[in-house]
Amino acid sequence: MVEKFEPNIIGFLCNWCSYAGADLAGTSRIQYPPNLKVIRVMCSGRVNPIFVINALQQGADGVLIGGCHPGDCHYERGNYLARRRMAVLKKLLEYTGIDSNRVRMTWVSAAEGVKFAEVVKEVTEDIRKLGPMQHFKRENKW
Amino acid sequence: MVDEKQLKDAVKKTVSRDDVKYVVGYEKGTYGFQTTPCFAYKPEDSEKFIFSPLCVQNLSVFPMLEEKPPLRKGEEADMRKIGVVVKGCDSRAIVQIIQEKGLDRDKVVIIGIPCTGVIDPKKIKAKFPGHIKKIEVKDEDDKFVVTVDGKTQKIAKDELIPDKCRTCEYPTPVLYDILIGKEIKSNKKEDYKKVNDFEKKSLKDKWEYWEKQFDKCIRCYACRNSCPLCYCKECMVDQLNPQWVRRSVNLSENTAWNLLRAFHLAGRCIGCGQCERACPMDIPLMELNKKIEKEIKDMFEYEAGVNAEEKPLLAMFKPDDPEDFIL
Repeated sequence: MVEKFEPNIIGFLCNWCSYAGADLAGTSRIQYPPNLKVIRVMCSGRVNPIFVINALQQGADGVLIGGCHPGDCHYERGNYLARRRMAVLKKLLEYTGIDSNRVRMTWVSAAEGVKFAEVVKEVTEDIRKLGPMQHFKRENKW
Repeated sequence: MVDEKQLKDAVKKTVSRDDVKYVVGYEKGTYGFQTTPCFAYKPEDSEKFIFSPLCVQNLSVFPMLEEKPPLRKGEEADMRKIGVVVKGCDSRAIVQIIQEKGLDRDKVVIIGIPCTGVIDPKKIKAKFPGHIKKIEVKDEDDKFVVTVDGKTQKIAKDELIPDKCRTCEYPTPVLYDILIGKEIKSNKKEDYKKVNDFEKKSLKDKWEYWEKQFDKCIRCYACRNSCPLCYCKECMVDQLNPQWVRRSVNLSENTAWNLLRAFHLAGRCIGCGQCERACPMDIPLMELNKKIEKEIKDMFEYEAGVNAEEKPLLAMFKPDDPEDFIL
């Protein structure tokens, strides 16, 4: 029997907006795909590209980074800096032949539970179409 | 062609200054086409300094590599300056380091050399294989005059120069204290032809190409050590807790290393091509660097190593940065 591919997505959500948005989606009982594994970070600016590449190495099929809307960052400028970083990283991944849609970024505020569910749905569907990430997955052989 | 006497005089004058510790420059190597970095601590040392198209190394790493041992009781820190001989591209590395506040402008004396293009060691070694003892290379308009074991040959520059010199926009140092010779204006323009051609390929073809390249990597970190801008006290790949990149040499770790190396140079790489020159496995690392350089020029209208007053690319932002990829 061929098992259906279920994407494995790592979500780095910022403590102040996106994580609260995800929380709201949960408390309002909105349904969204269970493929997203959330890691809470204090700010989207905390997300080092090393995290993203490491996640892809360790078997994630995609990475979603959630931050506050521009201008709403709790630390004033963290999400702006993250935006620049991810723009460069995405271009680099695209150039080496890894679909840049595997790394997504989104702005979700604490009041946008519905938007959060929609974003997760969209990302999951996109990555389902792309298939498993097999470019440089780490083989855990010692 | 650089007047070597003028260079030697400039070095001599610089070392003789009280506030200069030493000067780094080039000297003749022990064999073949090599030139090696050399140091002048005394005015007499300046006699061995040379400059020829074989001087490919980027010496701007040296003020950064300067070891500062802990001071003994009552000992005063050595606040003297360091002199560096730089070409056009090397001076941009210094500007970039100053911009990042890795180095103080007052701590370096820059001896600039207007450069008309250097020789790619890999290309000239392929042209003259075998063990060669005596060598002389001179620069003549659009030709290199190469004398190997007594036989003189004129070779068109186009055959021997590395790719970076083909599109060099800054032959004259951007920043210098002493300039040897006259300023040169460049009529070349960076067109990113290789990058643009490669971009048109499909994702599958791209990955097939890079998979082959990254698979070759032996992770000797020569690219990092030769890079003037890789000067972190502890590199992320040397970290053990957390260990982001494992030490094993396989495709996964090699890809992670090469991608992260390229990313860490985003907005900082000045395109001196040292990484590619030092790479023993001939991985085209400059293609990754050039791609990022092109993208940041497109997206953020930013060029590394030109203006020391500007803020580093990834440490600043504009509210209207491109965000078409954001959901």
